[in-house]
Amino acid sequence: MRTAVAAALCVAVLAGLDALLPQLLNPYYLTILTRIGVAVIAAVSLQLVNGFTGQFSIGHAGFMAVGAYVAAALSVYAGAGWLAGLASALPLPLARGLYFPVPLVAGGLAAALAGLVVGIPALRLRGDYLAIATLGFGEIIRIAILNVDAVGGARGFSLASPAHPGLDLRYEGFGISYAVVLVAVAVVARLVYATGGLAFRAVREDETAAESVGVPTTRVKVEAFVVSSFFAGVAGALFAHSEGYVHTNSFSFLRSFEIVVFVVLGGLGSITGAALAAAVLTAAPEVLRGLGEWRMILYSVLLVATMLLRPEGLLGRRELVPVRLGARAGGARAAP
Amino acid sequence: MENFLQQLLNGITWGGIYALIALGYTMVYGVLKLINFAHGDVYMVGAMTGFYAAHALGFASDPSLVGFAVTLLAAMAVCAALGALIERVAYRPLRRRGAGRLAPLITAIGVSLLLENAGQLVFGADPKFFPALLESRELVRVGGVAISNIQAAVLATALLLMAGLEFVVMRTRFGRAMRAVAYDGPAAALMGVPVDRVVMGTFVLGSALAAAAGILVGLSNPKIDPLMGIMPGIKAFVAAVLGGIGHVPGAMAGGLLLGVVETLVSGYLSSTYRDAIAFVVLIAILLYRPTGLFGSPQAEKV
Amino acid sequence: MPLLEVARLTVRFGGLTAVSALDLSVEERALVALIGPNGAGKTTAFNVVTGVYAPSAGAVRFDGREIGGEPPHRICARGIARTFQNIRLFRSLTALENVATALVGARRSGVRDVLRAPGWRGREAALADEAHALLERLGLERFADAPADALPYGEQRRLEIARALATHPRLLLLDEPAAGMNPAEKEALAALVGRLRAELGLTIVLIDHDVSFVMNLCDRVAVLDHGEKIAEGRPEEVRRDPRVVEAYLGSEAEGAA
Repeated sequence: MRTAVAAALCVAVLAGLDALLPQLLNPYYLTILTRIGVAVIAAVSLQLVNGFTGQFSIGHAGFMAVGAYVAAALSVYAGAGWLAGLASALPLPLARGLYFPVPLVAGGLAAALAGLVVGIPALRLRGDYLAIATLGFGEIIRIAILNVDAVGGARGFSLASPAHPGLDLRYEGFGISYAVVLVAVAVVARLVYATGGLAFRAVREDETAAESVGVPTTRVKVEAFVVSSFFAGVAGALFAHSEGYVHTNSFSFLRSFEIVVFVVLGGLGSITGAALAAAVLTAAPEVLRGLGEWRMILYSVLLVATMLLRPEGLLGRRELVPVRLGARAGGARAAP
Repeated sequence: MENFLQQLLNGITWGGIYALIALGYTMVYGVLKLINFAHGDVYMVGAMTGFYAAHALGFASDPSLVGFAVTLLAAMAVCAALGALIERVAYRPLRRRGAGRLAPLITAIGVSLLLENAGQLVFGADPKFFPALLESRELVRVGGVAISNIQAAVLATALLLMAGLEFVVMRTRFGRAMRAVAYDGPAAALMGVPVDRVVMGTFVLGSALAAAAGILVGLSNPKIDPLMGIMPGIKAFVAAVLGGIGHVPGAMAGGLLLGVVETLVSGYLSSTYRDAIAFVVLIAILLYRPTGLFGSPQAEKV
Repeated sequence: MPLLEVARLTVRFGGLTAVSALDLSVEERALVALIGPNGAGKTTAFNVVTGVYAPSAGAVRFDGREIGGEPPHRICARGIARTFQNIRLFRSLTALENVATALVGARRSGVRDVLRAPGWRGREAALADEAHALLERLGLERFADAPADALPYGEQRRLEIARALATHPRLLLLDEPAAGMNPAEKEALAALVGRLRAELGLTIVLIDHDVSFVMNLCDRVAVLDHGEKIAEGRPEEVRRDPRVVEAYLGSEAEGAA
């Protein structure tokens, strides 16, 4: 019941903002908001693996790439037709709103599958080795995509259907984008802050002890990895449809590192921390024009400084809103 | 057949370079159990230093063996200092605090990003052309395989440096201390080994070798830019893992092997996948033999 | 039929034989001690029974079923729980959370947690209640919301036992549960162990160095030395066995004959 009420409220607010914001804000700022959304989804999903399950994965951008490219390919080669069909029967905004979740989910599922394929072998490794393996897989994915001509290869891939020229496949609606953000945050929060979710943290704390109390550690790690990859894929799909163009350059390990920075700076083990860091660090350089090339220098200095001075990051393992496992409370912030 | 031998020679040459960089990774991992992500960027700084030094000292316009040697030494010295600085400022404080394995890894990533981006700012993002410190000419032709003087210089320098390192590691007191710390750090400390100095020395050695690799690459592939360290860095790391991370001769072997495999596959199969080969090798080792060719397995005590 | 049966168990690590042809039979509701000098192979035997290592040779049977080589979480589900020689709590989790993790064990479902069908909240509350009850039984209730590594040493050991109990085991393996405790704490622990056996019908095997702690508590004692069983029987018999005395000579032997 509480869920339904909260969900309805969110839908109402989002729908309202969706209609209102384009009137109030310059399209540039809407793009920024979408980019922030993408960053938050990426960071929160990575937090599940790195922060909560304690598996240091640094290839997240690879899964974003899978999601982005699969979603884009779907839209360009098949989705355009569906959208055109919908648009002939319904008002365009409604048609677009109905269609858009399809490539998002498709991208997410493809990335989840990639996560399963990568995760099962990689998660047998520990610590540094796992990190390097995920980095390697991320790069292999990127290079593999780069060699697929059907999605543009080295030229990049435009969201333009040859069969339906003129049909705008881009989607920048605030409503659905941030609905996805909320879903991602809610799913991760619910997974982790349930009693069963303690398994993730148990794996992080001590795998041997976790096994001894019945936690199937490999299965838990893979689960975290697959869920995380799903949302990475969704983030990638969102990104692709917002920009209208994808290139593997956006998904190099530098992007992976950037997401790791969000998670570490926000606090390894804090969903709200990761979200905050992602939002602030994505928005800031845009807002402070002229920072340009200094952005990455800022990131790297921040990263090193944080490790030296405040290694637990901004929020450490706490959330902005305290979450307690108990007889009554047991919920996450604004759990819709 | 001659093509194969030529490719083999190219592969060995690249292998020597990977080996030089890989040694730095493996030595640091040996003593600190840390993957120094910033190492590849030290290689870049070496190449850049060589560029500026060669121009400043006039060797750019007047190629000579002496010019090459001086530039090489200058770059090695600068990077040795850089390596020491990084260790002192970024890694040692974490060691003091007993920070576990994750924090230094993250810091290493941060330092790497910092070097790359600062490099873009300071050196400019556009590629530069490394001066020809040696005038390229064919030195000898063995059965249809041409060996240029540059290749000879690269191979000779690489081999000399590796031999030198092997000597230091196996025959000097410092080398013994290094091996002790790598084997069991706390025990070595208890036995009076000055761990901090050994660690710093390890960084110094590794960085100097990386700088040398940078100069040698500058000679053979003159286009240099601030991001040039990323790929070779990762590949050298793969080479170190291939040989058994922490194992010095392993890094040399791994480097050579990777260089040869990469060159042959890219020459005979497809060059677009050249970069992917290293990653495929990496995944293969990690899944089937994570301790590498020469490494020994480490079991966890329950 | 004995609850736990170890038959000619051998464990080799490379060239080292840690356990050699060990035979051990533990009846239901028995309280057995496994003693022996350092490095005798006691913890290794535990590790094989709990699935951390696979046997190199020989068999491990629990309730008649062969379990050698099964993964630890599966063995836990069969009803074997353990504590560790060096405390392995989930340090940043609270005492309550440590226990709650074990209560759920493998029975979690991510899907159910996300979708929260009706009944979810009730189940969560029941789990929390059971966790609190367990903490109470072991006198740890006041630490419920404290991070595990903030607990005093003796309490940490008891928390590990509480966590093990949360898996509803039939067989409990305690690896040096009294290590680092003073005599008063050891007495309390002995009383606790006895109570657990009586109230919960547990079968308990424990490893310890303190021979007198073991003597007063257990029905049977088995002695390991260099991976082999050198004696077994009632505590008084074993204590007088010359081979046991000799094995302990030179190592810390509190009250050994």
